[in-house]
Amino acid sequence: MSIHLNRSRSQVLAALISDTFQEARARWLFWGLFGLSTLLVAIFLFVLRIDIVQGAVSFMGIEATARPIYNIRKFVNVSYSWVSIVLYIWGTFLAVFASAGLTPSVLEAGRISLLLSKPLTRTTLLMGRYAGNLAVVALNHIYLISSIWIIIGLKTNIWEPRFLVAIPISLFIFAVLLCVVVLIGVVSESAALSVMVAVALMLISTILSQRGIVVKLLDSQWSRDLWLAFYWIVPKIYDFGVAMKDIILYDHSADWFTPAWTSAAFGIAVLSGAIYIFKRRDF
Amino acid sequence: MPADYAIETAGLEKIYRSRFRGREVTAVSNLTLRVPIGVKFGLLGPNGAGKTTFVKMLLSAVNPTAGTAAIFGQDARQPEARRPVGYLPENHRFPTYLTGTGLLDFYAALSGMEEPQRRKRAAELLELVGLKDWGDMRIKKYSKGMLQRLGLAQALMHEPRLLVLDEPTDGVDPVGRRDIRDILNSLTGTGVTVFINSHLLSEVESFCEYVAILNKGRLALEGKISSLVAGRGYRIAASSVPPEALDKIRQIGASILPSPGAMEFQVSSREEANQVIDQIRAAGGFIESLAASSSSLEDVFIKTTRSEKAA
Repeated sequence: MSIHLNRSRSQVLAALISDTFQEARARWLFWGLFGLSTLLVAIFLFVLRIDIVQGAVSFMGIEATARPIYNIRKFVNVSYSWVSIVLYIWGTFLAVFASAGLTPSVLEAGRISLLLSKPLTRTTLLMGRYAGNLAVVALNHIYLISSIWIIIGLKTNIWEPRFLVAIPISLFIFAVLLCVVVLIGVVSESAALSVMVAVALMLISTILSQRGIVVKLLDSQWSRDLWLAFYWIVPKIYDFGVAMKDIILYDHSADWFTPAWTSAAFGIAVLSGAIYIFKRRDF
Repeated sequence: MPADYAIETAGLEKIYRSRFRGREVTAVSNLTLRVPIGVKFGLLGPNGAGKTTFVKMLLSAVNPTAGTAAIFGQDARQPEARRPVGYLPENHRFPTYLTGTGLLDFYAALSGMEEPQRRKRAAELLELVGLKDWGDMRIKKYSKGMLQRLGLAQALMHEPRLLVLDEPTDGVDPVGRRDIRDILNSLTGTGVTVFINSHLLSEVESFCEYVAILNKGRLALEGKISSLVAGRGYRIAASSVPPEALDKIRQIGASILPSPGAMEFQVSSREEANQVIDQIRAAGGFIESLAASSSSLEDVFIKTTRSEKAA
């Protein structure tokens, strides 16, 4: 038999993504993510306790029976916006925890040397892993957020498509955090350290975002500049949460473009650093 | 342009530097090696000689500090150079979540094989390595010997032109070893170059045609096993032999043992000894001594590594 070997990079990427899925499934990360998401959906169903009787909405003890329909819509939109924040935080935390081990595992001695002996670049290998990881989390985000959307829609008969904007926004922020997880994984091969750094970054980002208050409190110009410099460097996780809430609630956000490109730039820079280090490492 | 050698390295070197203390360890030093196409080549050396580092540099898992490596004439750092290579690493750690068939499929996909071919070839190879009934079983259930056989199947999946095997019979029982040897012997005459990295002298002696011995990161000896271990042979010591004469001397069939201030050439017959002497003299070199010799590969190995130690 004469074997034809093609040079398609897409086949290699597809194989790497599929392998990441299989590993996530075998390590129970995939099922853990979906299980915990299902748990949140179940808790949401239980807490919501929505009954529709002739357009009436009962939500956590608040009665809206006598109010006109536009109030119900506004009320549902407020609920959507807050639920989206909960899902954003919950989903991002879960995704970071689930992803932390997927980069170090591929760097294990005896596994990486065989992968590197194949006709693929180190960049392709790392990007394939990254894409596979992102795809696992994307499936979970779609499942979690769509489920909540469907539940609220079915219960209230009010279908607000803007709620679904939580999927791309949550995924975008996770994609940026995943760059950090990959970098720490490549440098240290430690899943625990990857989680620690990513979670710390989330907290730091939230603190830095309070720049309006902090800048007023700082007494020197250089410390204000330093604060703002750090603010612009790190991904805007908090700002994105607020922007998402505003888009769902008001159909517009004050400014999401600047946080988007600065966060994307951070992610690209960190991922490029990870690739650079990965290329130089000996295994 | 067709390549002359399956593997060709020039001045290959790897120095590991500790990150904080600045200490250096030379794992491989100035290694120039040529492996002809279609031969069975063994790389020997004591533990820590730099064998695995050499293989990893060849396959781009380790970045060389200096020197070049080529596979079939292509720069080994280029991914395309590795397409015709099948590799079985030492102490491999295959993903335990895969089945035997899944593992073959995954690595073959990375090598560029199309899906229908992969399925067919995986079934053939599982049968060849005696794992036909294990293909759908997760590999965490496999024994060490079974993993080794699966690893060999993985290396053979895309019909490589160069097979690089790092300790291929490690952990395999005697029957399994013979099976692996039989599989590798079946490649004889197919044009596949087999490069075996092993510390098992008997394995290399019984299977390989050519051998190189690494010691402390340096090439201590290389040549045809038949000339090295011939029941009777001749050893010629010479000085001032210009490097350009070495290729011609190799073509005669002599093995070359570099040693400080002189060179030693091992040949298996009187005719070859005469030809080597003629070449040395024609190139302006001086014959220092000529002696009949008789040795096994083990003798050669021990002598080589000891003489290096003494040097």
